[in-house]
Amino acid sequence: MEQFFQQLTNGLAVGSIYALIALGYTMVYGVLKLINFAHSDLFTLGAYLGLTLLTSMSLTDRLGPVWGVLILAVMVMGFVALAGALLDRVAYRPLRESPRLSAVVSALGASIFLQNTVMLIYGARLLVYPSNILPKTVLHLFGLDIPLVRILVLCVSLIMMTGLYLFIQKTRIGTAIRAAAIDQGAARLMGIDVNRVILLVFMLGPSLGGAAGLMVGLYYGQVNFTMGWGYGLKAFTAAILGGIGNIPGAMVGGILLGVIEAMGAAYLSFAWKDAIAFLVLILILIVRPTGLLGERVAEKV
Amino acid sequence: MKKLLYFALALSLMLGTAHTAQSAKIGLMGPMTGSWASEGAEMKQVLDLLAEEYNAKGGVLGGKIEVVSEDDGGDPRTAALAAQRLSTQGIAAVIGTYGSAVTEATQNIYNEAKIIQVANGSTAIRLSEKGLKYFFRTCPRDDEQAKVAAQTIQKLGVKKLAILHDNSTYAKGLADETKTLLDGVKDLKIVFFDALTPKEQDYTAILTKLKETQPDLVFFTGYYGEAGLMLKQKKEMNWNVGFMGGDATNNPDLVKIAGSDAAEGFYFLSAPLPKDLPSEEAKAFLAGFTKKYGHPPNSIYPVLAGDGFRVVVHAMEQTKSTDPDKIADYLHKDLKDFPGLTGKISFNEKGDRVGEVYRVYKVNKEGQFILQP
Repeated sequence: MEQFFQQLTNGLAVGSIYALIALGYTMVYGVLKLINFAHSDLFTLGAYLGLTLLTSMSLTDRLGPVWGVLILAVMVMGFVALAGALLDRVAYRPLRESPRLSAVVSALGASIFLQNTVMLIYGARLLVYPSNILPKTVLHLFGLDIPLVRILVLCVSLIMMTGLYLFIQKTRIGTAIRAAAIDQGAARLMGIDVNRVILLVFMLGPSLGGAAGLMVGLYYGQVNFTMGWGYGLKAFTAAILGGIGNIPGAMVGGILLGVIEAMGAAYLSFAWKDAIAFLVLILILIVRPTGLLGERVAEKV
Repeated sequence: MKKLLYFALALSLMLGTAHTAQSAKIGLMGPMTGSWASEGAEMKQVLDLLAEEYNAKGGVLGGKIEVVSEDDGGDPRTAALAAQRLSTQGIAAVIGTYGSAVTEATQNIYNEAKIIQVANGSTAIRLSEKGLKYFFRTCPRDDEQAKVAAQTIQKLGVKKLAILHDNSTYAKGLADETKTLLDGVKDLKIVFFDALTPKEQDYTAILTKLKETQPDLVFFTGYYGEAGLMLKQKKEMNWNVGFMGGDATNNPDLVKIAGSDAAEGFYFLSAPLPKDLPSEEAKAFLAGFTKKYGHPPNSIYPVLAGDGFRVVVHAMEQTKSTDPDKIADYLHKDLKDFPGLTGKISFNEKGDRVGEVYRVYKVNKEGQFILQP
C-alpha cells in the first residue's frame, strides 16, 4: 500500500506538468482547430530562457529564492508569450484562410525551426540548472518520503490551471475566447476582434508551457533541446484523453495520464509504461471518442 | 574509332591525374546534430586537430590529409545517406561512428565501396561478426565490458543485484550479457531486470519500484543523462543504495545533473578517461587539444576516433598506398601494439581491438572521477 501512495505522488507531480503543457495544445485547438506542434518547443524555450535569465542576472542571489524564482517565472512567461505571439504572426496568421493541412505543416516546420534554433544557440549538450536554488527538504508524511519540491510543483500547476480556468470562465476576455472557439464568424458579428483573441490564446498557452519548462528545469535540473518532444507527445495525449479543446479536460487528462503511467510502471512492467498509458488512451477513446470531458467538440464535429 | 581512342586517352589521363592528386582524403561520419551532437562535434575537433598536426609535418604519402565530414544525425537513416555521399568522394577510409545501430546501417555501404571503416563508439558485438573485411573499431566490444562488469559486481560482494537498461541496442546488449554471466553465480540473485524509457526526466516511478526489491546494487547500462537524474532522485527519496553504470554514463555532466552529493559513490565502467591516459602521445595530444579549443576533450569516444584516424594514417604510411585491401591487410595482420592515444592498439581478424580497455571508476565527494585500482 505504501508503494501505491508513493507512486500516486510520483504520478501526480509528472501529471501536473503534462497538464500544464496540455493546456497550450487544447486552447489553440479550441479556437483554431489547429494542433500547434511547435508548442512543445516553446516549452523547451521556456526551460532554456529560465536558465539564461537565472545565471546571467543571478536573481536568486539578489532577491532570495522565493522572490527570485517568482520574478524569474514572470519574466520567462512573458518572453515565451512573446515568442508565442510571434509564432502566430509569422507561421499561422498568413495561413488563416488556407486549408487546415497547410497550417499543420507550418506548425511542424515551426517546431523543427525552433528546436534547431535552440540547439544552435545553446549547443547540443545537456545543460544543467544550478542545483542550490530549490529547498531539498524531504517531508515524511504518513510513512512516505515526499520531496517538498514535488508538492510545490503540483500546487503551482494547480494554481495556474485554476487561474486560467477562472480567467476563461469569469472575465469578459475569457468570454470572447469561448465565443471565438464556438463560432468565429458569429463572434466577429458580435464585435469580437477574433485575430486579437487568437493572439491572446497564443500568448496564454505558451506562457503556461514556458512556466512548465522552467519548473522542469528547476526541479529536474537538466535541459536539452529535444526535451520538448517527449513532454509534448504526452501532453498532446493528455489533451486528447481529456477531450481536446476543453480546458478542464486537459487538466484531468494530464494528471490522469501521469498517474496511469506511474501505476502501470509499478504494477505491470516499467518498460511497457508508455504502451500501457497509450492502451488506456485507446480504451477510453473507444468508449468516449471525444475524450473524457469533450462533449462540446462532439456537437461540432 | 580514332575519336573514341582520343576520348579513351583523355579519360585515362584525367583519371591518372586524379590518382596522383596531392591529398589523401579521410572521411568522418559523426553525429553533428541530434542527441549525440556533442560527441560528433568533438570527434570533428579531434580529427581537425590531428590532420593539422600531420599536415604541419608534411602530411602523408607526400600530400596533405583532408578530412571530409558528414553528419549521421545519430540516426540510421541519415547515416545511410551520409555513407552514400561519403563513398562518392574518393575517400580511402572513414572514421566513425558513435552509435552501434547507426554504424550498422552504414557497414555494408562502405564494405561494397571498399572503404575502410573504423568505428569509434559502436560496441555492439554483432558488428564485427559479419565477416566484413574493411570494418574495424577502436572501442572495445560489449561482451568485454560485460565481463568487467560481472567481475566488478562480484568483487563488490553484491548479493542482490538489479539490472536496468533502456532498450537501446547497446544498453540491452550489455545488460543481457552481464545477466548471462552472473546467472549461475552462487550467493548472487538478480532481483530486478527491466528497462526504462530514455529522455524522460522523472524516474521516481521506477526508483520506487526498484526500492521494493531491496537490491544491494543497481547496474544501469544506459546513458549519463538518465543516470544523473536517477542518482539525484534516489537521494531525494532517501534511498541509500549502490549504483553502477556502463561506459555510457562516463561524462562529467553526470555529476552536474545529479549534484556531487548525490553522485558520490557512483561506480562506472569506462575506457580510461582522457585525463588518465598514461602514454606520452596522449599527453601531447591532450595539451594540443586544450590549447586549440580551450578545454580537454569531454569524452573518450572522440579520442578513440582520433586513434582510428592515426591508425589509418599509419597504415597508409607503412603500405605507401591508399589501397583499401593493402590497408586492411596491414591492420589485420601487421599492426602490433601501435602506440595509440588510448593505449596499445592491435586488431584481430574480425577487426576488433585486442586487449583490455575497460577500467572501473568511482565518483568521489568533490564529484571527480577516480580510477579504481
